[in-house]
Amino acid sequence: MSDQPAKIGDNWPNLIGKRLPRVDAVEKVNGDAKYAGDFNMAGQLWMKILRSPHAHAKIISIDASKALDMPGVKAVVTAEDFKGWSWGWGPQTRDETPLAEGKVRYFAEAVAAVAAEDEETAEEACALIDVVYEELPGIFDAEEAMQDGAPQVHDYVENNQSWDFHMDYGDVEKGFAEADLVREDRFETGRTLTGFLEPPAAVAQYDTAGITIYAAKQSPYFIYRQLASCFKLPLSKVRVIQPYVGGGFGGTKNDSTAGDFCAVMLAKKTKRPVKFVYNMEEVLTTCRRRHNMIVDCKMGMKKDGTITAVQTKVIADGGAYTAIGPLTMYLTGIMTTLPYKLDNYKHDAYRIFTNHPVSAAMRGHGVTHTRFAAEIQMEKMADELGIDPVEVRMKNAIEAPHETINGITVDTCGLKEGLEIVSSSTAWKDKDKNKKDGPVVRGVGISGTSHLGGARQRGHQSCAAIVRLCEDGTVNYLTGASDAGQGSDTVLVQLVAEELGLTMEDVTIQRVDTAVTPVDNGSYGSRVTILAGQAAQKAAQEVKRQLAEAAAKVWQVDAEKILFNDRTVFVDGDPDKSMPFRKLTQIACYSESGAVIMGKGYSEYGIEKMDFEKGYGNPGVNYSFTSQLSAVDVDLETGMVKAKDFLIAHDCGRPLHPVNVEAQTQGAASQGLGQALYENFKMHEGRTMNSTMVNYMMPLSTEHPDFELHDIITDDPHGPFGAKEASEGSIISTPPSIVSAIHDATGIWFTKLPVTPEKIVLALKEKKERENAQKKESE
Amino acid sequence: MVVFYRRMPRFEYLKPQRFEDVLELLADGTPNRYRVFAGGTDLMDQLKQRKIDVPETVIDLKGLAELDFIDFDKSSGLRIGALTTVTDVANSPEIDQHYSALAQGAREIASIQIQNRATITGNICNAVSSADSAPPLLALGAEVVCATGKGERSIKIEDFFTGPGETVLQPDELVKEIKLPPPTKGSNSVYLKLAPRGRMDLAWIGVAVWAEISAGKFTEVRIGLGAAAPTPIRTPKAEAALRGAEVSQKNIEAAAALASGEAKPRENSFRAGGEYRHMMVEVLVKRALTQLAG
Amino acid sequence: MDKITCNFVVNGSAEEVSFPPNRTLLHMLREDLLFHGVREGCSHGECGSCNVILDGKLVNACLILAAEADGLEILTVEGMADGEDLHPIQQAFVDESGMQCGACTTGMILSTKNLLDANPDPSREEIKDALAGNFCRCTGYAKIFESVEAAAETMKGGQQ
Repeated sequence: MSDQPAKIGDNWPNLIGKRLPRVDAVEKVNGDAKYAGDFNMAGQLWMKILRSPHAHAKIISIDASKALDMPGVKAVVTAEDFKGWSWGWGPQTRDETPLAEGKVRYFAEAVAAVAAEDEETAEEACALIDVVYEELPGIFDAEEAMQDGAPQVHDYVENNQSWDFHMDYGDVEKGFAEADLVREDRFETGRTLTGFLEPPAAVAQYDTAGITIYAAKQSPYFIYRQLASCFKLPLSKVRVIQPYVGGGFGGTKNDSTAGDFCAVMLAKKTKRPVKFVYNMEEVLTTCRRRHNMIVDCKMGMKKDGTITAVQTKVIADGGAYTAIGPLTMYLTGIMTTLPYKLDNYKHDAYRIFTNHPVSAAMRGHGVTHTRFAAEIQMEKMADELGIDPVEVRMKNAIEAPHETINGITVDTCGLKEGLEIVSSSTAWKDKDKNKKDGPVVRGVGISGTSHLGGARQRGHQSCAAIVRLCEDGTVNYLTGASDAGQGSDTVLVQLVAEELGLTMEDVTIQRVDTAVTPVDNGSYGSRVTILAGQAAQKAAQEVKRQLAEAAAKVWQVDAEKILFNDRTVFVDGDPDKSMPFRKLTQIACYSESGAVIMGKGYSEYGIEKMDFEKGYGNPGVNYSFTSQLSAVDVDLETGMVKAKDFLIAHDCGRPLHPVNVEAQTQGAASQGLGQALYENFKMHEGRTMNSTMVNYMMPLSTEHPDFELHDIITDDPHGPFGAKEASEGSIISTPPSIVSAIHDATGIWFTKLPVTPEKIVLALKEKKERENAQKKESE
Repeated sequence: MVVFYRRMPRFEYLKPQRFEDVLELLADGTPNRYRVFAGGTDLMDQLKQRKIDVPETVIDLKGLAELDFIDFDKSSGLRIGALTTVTDVANSPEIDQHYSALAQGAREIASIQIQNRATITGNICNAVSSADSAPPLLALGAEVVCATGKGERSIKIEDFFTGPGETVLQPDELVKEIKLPPPTKGSNSVYLKLAPRGRMDLAWIGVAVWAEISAGKFTEVRIGLGAAAPTPIRTPKAEAALRGAEVSQKNIEAAAALASGEAKPRENSFRAGGEYRHMMVEVLVKRALTQLAG
Repeated sequence: MDKITCNFVVNGSAEEVSFPPNRTLLHMLREDLLFHGVREGCSHGECGSCNVILDGKLVNACLILAAEADGLEILTVEGMADGEDLHPIQQAFVDESGMQCGACTTGMILSTKNLLDANPDPSREEIKDALAGNFCRCTGYAKIFESVEAAAETMKGGQQ
């Protein structure tokens, strides 16, 4: 472990690596945990949003007079109230307004919002707002949107090109020329839902003190900045308080929503607190979703399986606005150089505006699409060359230390070890024996993938912590890092308690309150444990230093000799000199100076230079490696696929909280399972046809396989106690391993996600017809 | 206009205690005056989403305790009261033994939570083509007993559904019970549901088959299909082909192919296309018949 | 739409509540009685986060009118613990980390109670089937299944 201090007995560390209960567990099982929708303010109004019935239309007029006349209605807001303020990625692409201005660009885009004494009244008043639209032809296909003459979603770009991103390293043409086999295939990934169970909700107040908003956010400091900008307030007057968050997974809960801006504007107008809660259909119809992408992948391979070049072209349906899309495009390219050796790589990514709801981030952001394509193509080519799926991966797998052609530096890598674990399992060795005769056939597939941790990307990277010592020896830990359910609060408490030699119960973590906690970018890109974790360590060390000085004075020894363990402070090598932590706290706090013991720390990982435009340099602090075996049962007559076993060997450096690491791996794999087999928004002229949970079909209890998990310990030098990411790796590794397993069962390579029963049955039928025709021909 | 409602529309609530009182209210005849419900799992959801016209008053039938029963008699058959929950049907040993397809269908209707409230009668009155109880009731030869203030009538289940969400029930008419004929010697039934996630999904295809087998021959067969046409349907051609036919794989496959031809699924649905559904009717009918052939 | 008045026994306490007739049981419990452990997820009976035990039966409170529950007993997650002592099912979810974001957890616990009351020693397949109406996006269910199994084990040991 890289951060090991002076060794304190054989049991150190006391907490890191232990299977401890989560710090929020009791509140979550007894019903005490409060989420945004559970907060009420005295005198609050309820808000409801009126949304567009068209996917693309001019707004000719809005008449809210009838709604305003309704008893109980207090105010209505429209785009006019926001005076042209807009937001989005970068100064050139701030193309999204809180409410549609002049034009609606996707079905059910927010057009107006009503505040009323109760929610029923607000809902009914929405129906009384008269909006006159002039419908415009819509564009619902990214490739068609790129053509000349296609309807234009925005005027500020041509051919609906929202963003493009290009990388060119080595010489792909030379690489293809050196190859014995070159393949070009088209892959498609689905448009999927993050799937949190708690719909966006907030209660907002606006008064002379500024804005106070309780909101369900996994990145509360995003909305903090956006509200300050929108309402032209200093940041010191924007107070975002983060209750428990009922799941995030990127996108919607990173960003602000129309509801947030409107609630604050209505609170400003009415001088009353305003509350809203989205409904689930609203989430499935209007909220951010994963980009669906076309990935044209070209790969060169030598007879021995060596990959000589990869060229990818990505076309992503960006939906109606930019949002965080440029980052998505960057991520589709940057990570393709991991985890296999690659000297020649070219990547062109295009994000295209359409009249669909907005595409944005989701767990495995950007990476999952291109890694799926490359992973399947690699195996397909190995298949053609008669190379075993394990062998082709072992042949190309990187080993640490490694620097990719685009400047990603890998210091630890457990990929080969992981592949050895999955390939030495009986599930893999006996896969032909276990196949069964049908109609239900067992298929087994593998994958080996990588993901970044401690996402840094660009701009402001802050991640800070304050450890505040209470005079009774307990600790308030303040962080801007947010736990949307993944368990990071528990890990951060572990780190602080470990440093100070305290127990978990001694440390209380405060949930984010932007008036109190230090700025942090929030939860995304597997950054919390690594970056906020280092901040926590440093803040605790700072407290320890101050306490050690007080102890040194008492015992007249060098402060460096003071050690902290098991709620006790003692002098190294002098067991007679010891006292309870609580007593030292009192000595330090009640010293003549009236000292207040506080420590602050901030993360310093991953601050070296990078080139975002060219895709050069590290996108993360360190890199995890995931090897997975998936076993599925395929019913060859109905096409129904059931996942039976997932064996996942994950290199997360070192699991700080092993239970959480397991849980994250299982949860991410579950979402990967959804993407592989079940989930995809079905669109018709901009409308989401499957906008309820029953019709969208996320995996339920009955869909989940048995998990077997292996930790690969590599102790990365760039994470606290050697940690790397643990929350996204298996959402990358699951879809290719399942598709590989389906190939094992059916003999067919599926290239479009999700692989539905219908696709399987029709492909098997076509295969049979083709084989029959060939048989006839040869007769 | 698009509003994603979280609240119920406004309506009054009545819970009469006598069957005649309900019929009297329904005799009123004013459109959208009353709407009855039993479990409410469909109605409350549709009201919340404003998918149906909002009635002035909803009538909770749960005051009519006499309509909550399962009555089985070997010679007269099975009667299921209009208020009998899906859970009670799914757990009934008699239904499981003599009307297996219905017990299996009941167990496939969504979650335990839903089954505890929803009724079999409500499941068919809601009249969606994918209702898991409909194919079993078709295959088992059910009749729906309805009443108005003027009297009662019995409707064959195959005449009950008239379109998606539509039945022959008149506005003043209330279902009293569902009747199934007594079990016959050598008969058995099965329900197979095709859906990626099982009970929580609406059926992509539901197939129920009831067959009476004697001396190696199918003496009588009824097949009910769900989600294979705008309403749940029978497949007369496939049934006729099997009647009197030898129990053989060849005959089973031929009947399954006929049943597939009798299906009229929607060509484009977000769940699955027409070609796939035709194919699945064939697979499921074949599997169901094969199971019954033992 | 005048208010109606109904009586319930919620977690053992008698409650008289007045509300408009279109009030759902979910909103009555959350907004009139402030049991926010009854969570609102999908509002369509698809996710199970609003689960309560009504008259001894597991139900989705979002699809029931409060008026339908007049005169009946209701158990919410808030009624599970015995003072400070968690119910063995709750304790098992704590011990096995059977939750992440927590949005589904209270409903899962009530579904688990419903299962174990009827079947004290369920198989993994029976657990899966019993929880089919409770959606969880975070966990991949593995730790939830383990929690249910741990709870069954404790409760078999005579602890209640």
